[in-house]
Amino acid sequence: MTGLERYAAPQSLDEALGILQQGEVTILAGGTDLMPQTKAGRIAFKPTLMNIGRVAGLKGVTLDGGHLRIAALTTISELLRDPLVAQHAPVLAEACDHFASDQIRNAGTLGGNINNASPAGDTLVPLIVLDAEVELASKPNGSVSTRRMPLAEFFTGPGRTKRAGNELLTAVRIPLPKPGHVARFYKFGTRPALDISTISIGIAGIKRDGALTDTRVAFGAVAPTPVRAPRTEAALEGRRLDSDAIEAAAGAARDEVNPIDDVRASAWYRKELIHNMTKRMLDHVAQA
Amino acid sequence: MNVAEKPVITADSLIGQRIQKKDAPEKAAGKTRYIQDMIVPGMLHAKILRSSRVHARIRSIDTSAAKALPGVHVVLTAADVPDQQPIGVARDHLPLKGERVRSLRDEIAAVAADSEEIAEAALKLIRVEYEDLPVIATPEDAVKADAPLIHPAPLDADGKPKTVPPKTPIAFAGKADNIAMRFDYTHGDVAAAEAESDVVVEDTFQLHYVTHCCMGVSGVIAEFDASGNLLMYSNTQVPFLHKREFAEYLNIDPSRVRIIQPPIGGGFGSKLDIYPFEVICIFLARAAKRPVKMVFTRKEEFLASPTRQPVLLTLRSGCRKDGTLTFRQVHTLHDNGAYTSWGATTPFVMMQTFSSLYRVPACDYHTTVAYTNNPYAGSFRGYGNLQATFAIEQHMDMLAERIGMDPLDFRLKNAQEAGEVTGQGMTFKSCGFRECLTTAAERSDYRKKHADNLAHRDAPGPVKRGIGIASMLHVGGGAKIYPSDGCGTILKLDDFANVTLITGASEIGQGSETVLSQLVCEELGLPISAVTVVNNDTAITPWDVGVHASRTTFIAGNSAIGAARKAKAKILAAAAKKHGCDEATLDLRGGFVVVAETGEPVVELARLMRNLHFSDKAELVMTTFYYEPPSVHQDKAFKGDVSAAYAWAAQVVEVEVDTDTGIVKMTKVTGTHDVGRVLNRLGLEGQIEGGVVMGQGYALTENLIVENGVTRNPNFRDYKLVTAPEIPEMDITFVESMDGEGPQGAKGVGEAPAICIAAAAANAIYNATGVRIFALPFTPEAVYRALRGKAEKPHWEAWQPE
Repeated sequence: MTGLERYAAPQSLDEALGILQQGEVTILAGGTDLMPQTKAGRIAFKPTLMNIGRVAGLKGVTLDGGHLRIAALTTISELLRDPLVAQHAPVLAEACDHFASDQIRNAGTLGGNINNASPAGDTLVPLIVLDAEVELASKPNGSVSTRRMPLAEFFTGPGRTKRAGNELLTAVRIPLPKPGHVARFYKFGTRPALDISTISIGIAGIKRDGALTDTRVAFGAVAPTPVRAPRTEAALEGRRLDSDAIEAAAGAARDEVNPIDDVRASAWYRKELIHNMTKRMLDHVAQA
Repeated sequence: MNVAEKPVITADSLIGQRIQKKDAPEKAAGKTRYIQDMIVPGMLHAKILRSSRVHARIRSIDTSAAKALPGVHVVLTAADVPDQQPIGVARDHLPLKGERVRSLRDEIAAVAADSEEIAEAALKLIRVEYEDLPVIATPEDAVKADAPLIHPAPLDADGKPKTVPPKTPIAFAGKADNIAMRFDYTHGDVAAAEAESDVVVEDTFQLHYVTHCCMGVSGVIAEFDASGNLLMYSNTQVPFLHKREFAEYLNIDPSRVRIIQPPIGGGFGSKLDIYPFEVICIFLARAAKRPVKMVFTRKEEFLASPTRQPVLLTLRSGCRKDGTLTFRQVHTLHDNGAYTSWGATTPFVMMQTFSSLYRVPACDYHTTVAYTNNPYAGSFRGYGNLQATFAIEQHMDMLAERIGMDPLDFRLKNAQEAGEVTGQGMTFKSCGFRECLTTAAERSDYRKKHADNLAHRDAPGPVKRGIGIASMLHVGGGAKIYPSDGCGTILKLDDFANVTLITGASEIGQGSETVLSQLVCEELGLPISAVTVVNNDTAITPWDVGVHASRTTFIAGNSAIGAARKAKAKILAAAAKKHGCDEATLDLRGGFVVVAETGEPVVELARLMRNLHFSDKAELVMTTFYYEPPSVHQDKAFKGDVSAAYAWAAQVVEVEVDTDTGIVKMTKVTGTHDVGRVLNRLGLEGQIEGGVVMGQGYALTENLIVENGVTRNPNFRDYKLVTAPEIPEMDITFVESMDGEGPQGAKGVGEAPAICIAAAAANAIYNATGVRIFALPFTPEAVYRALRGKAEKPHWEAWQPE
């Protein structure tokens, strides 16, 4: 009763990109979003279902020059346990600790979480404040080519990204943190885990002499995509983290977001949470 | 007073031990075969088409494409079953709706097909044309003078209301207003008592929709044999009532209906009524001449299984300066939903709490149950008592504060005691209420923490700590709702001194098989492994009214003891005769007939059983017993001693409130329950822990969001059951008041632990923050709004009919 005609399980990136190039492909990785969403009718299968689980080289975390490179099929559980992530991007591991349940973390992949492009996707906000970029591969004219794009620019709407139909997201690259780098993540849910976030907040920057520079602030679940918060960043950039600066930043954050009412929370409450928790996180950064 | 002396527990006694549930290994190993796992040869799979409109006339139903789909055997609509009869306590509910739908859960058509997938595909081919009608989304709107009717009288060809014979059910005759039921109770002189009060408080409380969330969703398999006898595999909690009712709907003799209950994955009251899907499944089986299985999806379970009763409740309470309660006046408005099920009758229990939880000289109670286009409410563990207790126990704290009295002292001053006969006629034969209060308070260090939290309310930092206490009264010895509240037992001993205990009592996961086995073994001096329980087949088991009202341990327990004592008398008489001694000097212990005084073995029980059997006067030991509790029906004024015993509890809830987010974290629950006597300590603890978590969900997280008749969150993603890491630390203790009528002194406890958690949580939040919240649930946003003064206080002008 689906539109599925063909199942493909390529072994190599080259083969996978070749199949993608032919068009009309649904990509299956962990399946934790794809399966419930197709079942609920929110996503329709295209004629080809391509399982990329067997594609070589799409798993694991490595150091790549000045970057941490996380291959797309790395699962959320693997990220949680990975020593390189713990060392260079602990805030990502922290987000993974609030991610769904163990069963889903064992199957769900980082690439899947990104491509699902949910405004509430748990890994997206920390990746954005870590200046992560995505690596997209394709084979448009017989040979594999790759392009990179900042994750903050990748999303165009709920479930929509700038990935072209013939492209595969192969990895995420995060620049290694500079001295003094701090990063915080907060997810509001009513439970310790197994919850879709009502709002989430990521804050990062270089802390020196009580002030933040290279400030990054991002919010989840307050807009059609996870968003950077330029006005909040500007309110913080270079300013001493005293209570006035923190209050100004929290106020800017509340004014900057434009969330909606839904079954999980009202817009008003989301704005209140953005204010209160941005303030709490900055208090912690100031005291750290 | 009727209190038994507590015997000294001997080393080999099973009473009070921690005994593993008999079905635990099967369930833990995933080997239990629920109805979901059952395959009956030749069976078809059924699905129901539900309304896509909240309130509408049905203009037409076209099933032709569905019938033409390969693999479809039967498609039924109301037109195909002209003989269908209304179900439910008010007879206002036809299983298949032909002319009008009144809620989104309404059944319009049903399909039986070779597979679930085909049945599902067939539903999509059914075309229904609707003509929308105005939606009544709240009971406040439903009781307005000009409100459209949910069950208007049918019109004849001239457009005039049809004349129908008297006593025609509402489903055929209609109802001239939207009032499904009314309850009015009073004792004492409320006006005089109010005049004597130094302090009076009045508030409106709002209670929300929640639903049972049984892990085992609703399901049934129906089949007719070649002679037209009906066999049902059913998850019902009331097999004997169903047997009779299904026979009525089918116009056949009840002897031709047999109900077998496979292991049931949770009930909590949700399986206490007859529902359309069960009747529809029977219609499909009749039409298909094949067995038909119908099992809900989880979404369907959320949409079409009953809810807890939502209530708007205005309470007026008074007391004197010395802390003596003077009166209570209560008006409640219940959202019935579109049809009447047991939810409408929860005032039976609610008024008991208002009239009798504490000594109150005057009580005036009024409920109006109004039809709306919402989902309909059924029975749910606690049966109205969570709602009533939420209001009363907040008012207890509020009155205490107004007169400057400690909330615990205020409760103790008004607490019931053994021997009390309440204004409603309930007689408290055993009563450990005071001890519950003092024990829970001492163990939680309630007084000190309450004072400390008050002192720290304005200290810096977003997180505030609070502690709150609440108490409850509930039936603990059955509830005489039907002509009989009894249960029958057949007990059989075989040649190896193993027991088959055939009981009417249903097992829904509560542990009745284990506790009944214990009670029998205690009488017969046998290990628990010697008992096989048969409890799931109306063709075999003796009658029982059903598993509800916390009654099974008490009623079925007394019934099992009765049968065991008869067997014991028979065995001892036979042993005395054979061994030439006085039966009064003998006892049964450790699988032997022994001399009671010395414990010296006389004969091995198994050997004696064989001697009885293989003798020239061959005999088997088989006994029967029917236990009917010494309780009475309420009279027309709702007065009477409806239960043979009453259960008590006090629970102390501790919370941390994050005032930046509104998140309430329940950190600890200290509960003390008057259970009469502890029978299976492990089972009791498990049941109480489960009930506490259910109460926690009701208080903090669970909320079935119904907007304009539409259920917005029919899934576990957005309907938030409490998950394991959120469960608080628990300190559960028991008061053994040794009820004189109870089996070994025990009283029922099944519903009790869920009842006061929300009320205690409300008091704890107030203790932490100084903000009192009158509406449930205490979700983060609701609490945050209240803390910021942005929560609307529930308000309702009590509606009085002309």
